[in-house]
Amino acid sequence: MDRIDDTIDAYFNKFTIKQSIIIPLMVVVISLLILTATTLTLGTPVKLGMEFVGGSAIIIDTPESPKELQEAFSDYPLHSEPREHGNRKLLQFESMSQEKQNELTNFAVKEYGSENVEMRQVGEVFGKSQQIKAVQAVVIAFLLMAAVVLILFRKIIPAVTVIFAAFADIIFAMAMMNIFGLTLTFGTFAAILMLIGYAVDTNLLLTSRVLKRKGDPMGQIKNAMKTGLTMTSTTLAALLVLFLISTISYLAVSSFTRIDIVRDIAVVLIFGLLADMMNTWMFNTGILRKYIIMPRGGR
Amino acid sequence: MAIENSLLKNPRVLLLIAGLIISLIFIYPHPTDDGIDTNLKYGLELEGGSWLQLRMQGAIIELDADPSQIIQSEYSTYLDDRDLKITRVKSDSIRFITTKDVTRPQIEELNYGTASLLKEETTTLVAISTTKERVIQTYLQNHLATEVKILRTEDGAAYEIRTNTSKTQVEQVLAPTGGNLLSYVEGVSSETRDDTKQILDAKLNGMGLKDIPIRTIGDDYILIDLAGVDIATALRIAATPGKFEIRIQTEGNETNKTAHVLYGDQITSVGIPQQYEGAWGVSFRLKDEGAVALRDAAIRYDATTEPQHHHLIMYLDNNEIFSGPLAAGLAQNIQNIPVKDLKAQTGIGEEGGQKAKELQVHLRAGALPVNVEVIGSGQVPATLGAQFKEQLGAAGIITLVAVALIVYRRYRHREIIMPMLITTFSEVVMILGFAAAIKWQLDLPSLVAIIAVIGTGIDHLIIITDEVLHKERGELPTERIFKARIKKAFAIIFAAAATTIAAMIPLGYMGFGALRGFAIVTIVGILIGIFIARPAYGAIIKHIIV
Repeated sequence: MDRIDDTIDAYFNKFTIKQSIIIPLMVVVISLLILTATTLTLGTPVKLGMEFVGGSAIIIDTPESPKELQEAFSDYPLHSEPREHGNRKLLQFESMSQEKQNELTNFAVKEYGSENVEMRQVGEVFGKSQQIKAVQAVVIAFLLMAAVVLILFRKIIPAVTVIFAAFADIIFAMAMMNIFGLTLTFGTFAAILMLIGYAVDTNLLLTSRVLKRKGDPMGQIKNAMKTGLTMTSTTLAALLVLFLISTISYLAVSSFTRIDIVRDIAVVLIFGLLADMMNTWMFNTGILRKYIIMPRGGR
Repeated sequence: MAIENSLLKNPRVLLLIAGLIISLIFIYPHPTDDGIDTNLKYGLELEGGSWLQLRMQGAIIELDADPSQIIQSEYSTYLDDRDLKITRVKSDSIRFITTKDVTRPQIEELNYGTASLLKEETTTLVAISTTKERVIQTYLQNHLATEVKILRTEDGAAYEIRTNTSKTQVEQVLAPTGGNLLSYVEGVSSETRDDTKQILDAKLNGMGLKDIPIRTIGDDYILIDLAGVDIATALRIAATPGKFEIRIQTEGNETNKTAHVLYGDQITSVGIPQQYEGAWGVSFRLKDEGAVALRDAAIRYDATTEPQHHHLIMYLDNNEIFSGPLAAGLAQNIQNIPVKDLKAQTGIGEEGGQKAKELQVHLRAGALPVNVEVIGSGQVPATLGAQFKEQLGAAGIITLVAVALIVYRRYRHREIIMPMLITTFSEVVMILGFAAAIKWQLDLPSLVAIIAVIGTGIDHLIIITDEVLHKERGELPTERIFKARIKKAFAIIFAAAATTIAAMIPLGYMGFGALRGFAIVTIVGILIGIFIARPAYGAIIKHIIV
């Protein structure tokens, strides 16, 4: 237990207040640059997946090689080369006309057997209509979260700091999606919304402790950090389990399989939480020390 | 034992226990031949099956046009009479004079209404009894080659065009009449949406697929989940109409001796149920060929002379749906000429009205009132779904173990860790209980949300634990201080819960397919956590340390 306390002490000795504010801000700037670059090349801050542009994906349980499958489906607009996850092969297609789509569905079911075919398809027009809704949902979620935080603290600097920290978490997670080639799917989208509500938890803990508890503020921060790091580590553990089970467990247990929506949710939340550690214990802590504690005469 | 008793008397602990018992009753785990079964319902992704997401194509327009101008332009083209003149326009009829030699069926061919003719030496005075809305409706119908429904006549008439029609298309069609398009909205009315849903229901039931959930999202989308049906079959069901056939009794009133008259492809349009002289009925129109076929059959089997003994019987997918005689007047008419417009009478009163409604659906042969477009579809084979379930179950258990190890490393006291794990586990049981109670279908995102709730739930318990265990001058808190601290801890976790719920509300409200489940399970999980599970944990931990 004391080891954690020592680590926390060492951490606060290592970084000055200035550093602990500037480093997260630099990360925010880098994240924004990545998102801007993506927007300039693709037109959207993150690459849009099938659910938001339309298209179809077919996962077939078959011993055939990706090459053979590419051959077999050459009549249809393959989006990229078939990918292989154990025995299951993933084929992604661009949107096509309804007749062609029906033909493709019938072909896959007939050729490989209904019991071996997992598929999903999203119409192009419908998918694109979801884009606007997705932006609306993210904006509304963020505003609602911000409103709750403002009502809670009723002080501008701490509240805005918490809201900014959540914002920084989300854009970092989105920037990492671009770096690691994740697209905006229903999974990653749900995770981004989850992050909006979830990323503020440790910030709420920290800010409440500092603002509402009496006594040595530095001690409060260190205590809050101990609690917060335990919280984040349990959540990270849960997410890591989800990530491993949904991504590579099929290598160890042959009956297991990839579950993309679960992996998507886990990965985005993991990035978001990593950013959250930095934004809570460097940025928010730094601001609290500089603007709330120091003027009050604390150390 | 006394200590245990006092804990069991704590209302917060009692509430948790009650919540657990009620949940277990709803989940109802019971042994079956192949393991343990529960009342939990799983979504398609976990049970196997296919789904279709359909968009109803159509447009709702408001417009204003001059009926006399429409009649003028329509009939002068149709009759090739440039001098055709409108003589009188009333709210229920329009009259015009033409120099051409015309007949009543000729005028009625355009479907603007019933006509009466007054022949004079060189001209004919034609009166069509119709209304302004009917004229506009018919005009749109004739020129857009689709069905058009009058939605309302007051406050600016509105019409529903029942196929994919762009604004420009409507404007082009209106241009020659000098009409004005006042508004154009893509989509269909809610009645049409309900009709479509009802027909799909009837079709699926007719195919022996009972209890297929058909959900409508807004006015434009329909979602169908077909458990245990593969996607190729699902597409076939939604896209193909049923087989409709009319047969005629060949020998005096014996139902089983019938001859084929015509198939559903001979029906060009079906009217809405209406009352004719007190009795309900549905009108429908045959193609020329169909009318001839009906006439031939009626004469051949004496239905024109003895209609009562030679019923016409209608079948949908070989099931009898209607049986009735030719009306006396109609029988006579048919003797003379092929009749294209027919009515099927279903009887009087509410029952007759209901039957007429059903018959209307059947006459359409399961064809939907509007065009539908498949905007999303998919399937998950049952074996794969079972794998998903198993895998996420494993993930849930491993997560609990991993979290237990971390909290143990931190607190090193079994007295704290056991209540933490029990509380978290109870939260999961209560979420599942809630799902079973409202018959919620658990899908992949819902299960992920449950695992996420384990993560956040533990977080909140850690906040409570650290807040109350916090030592001041090396002393653990007294009861009074304890109460104040619990209050502070709950202030933080209520705030944390509020932000997460706030962020999930748009997702739960807007839908996004399966993601609604994710949002709802997260919100419910958080509510159960903060109102039932965590207060109980507070009571337990107080019991342990004070």
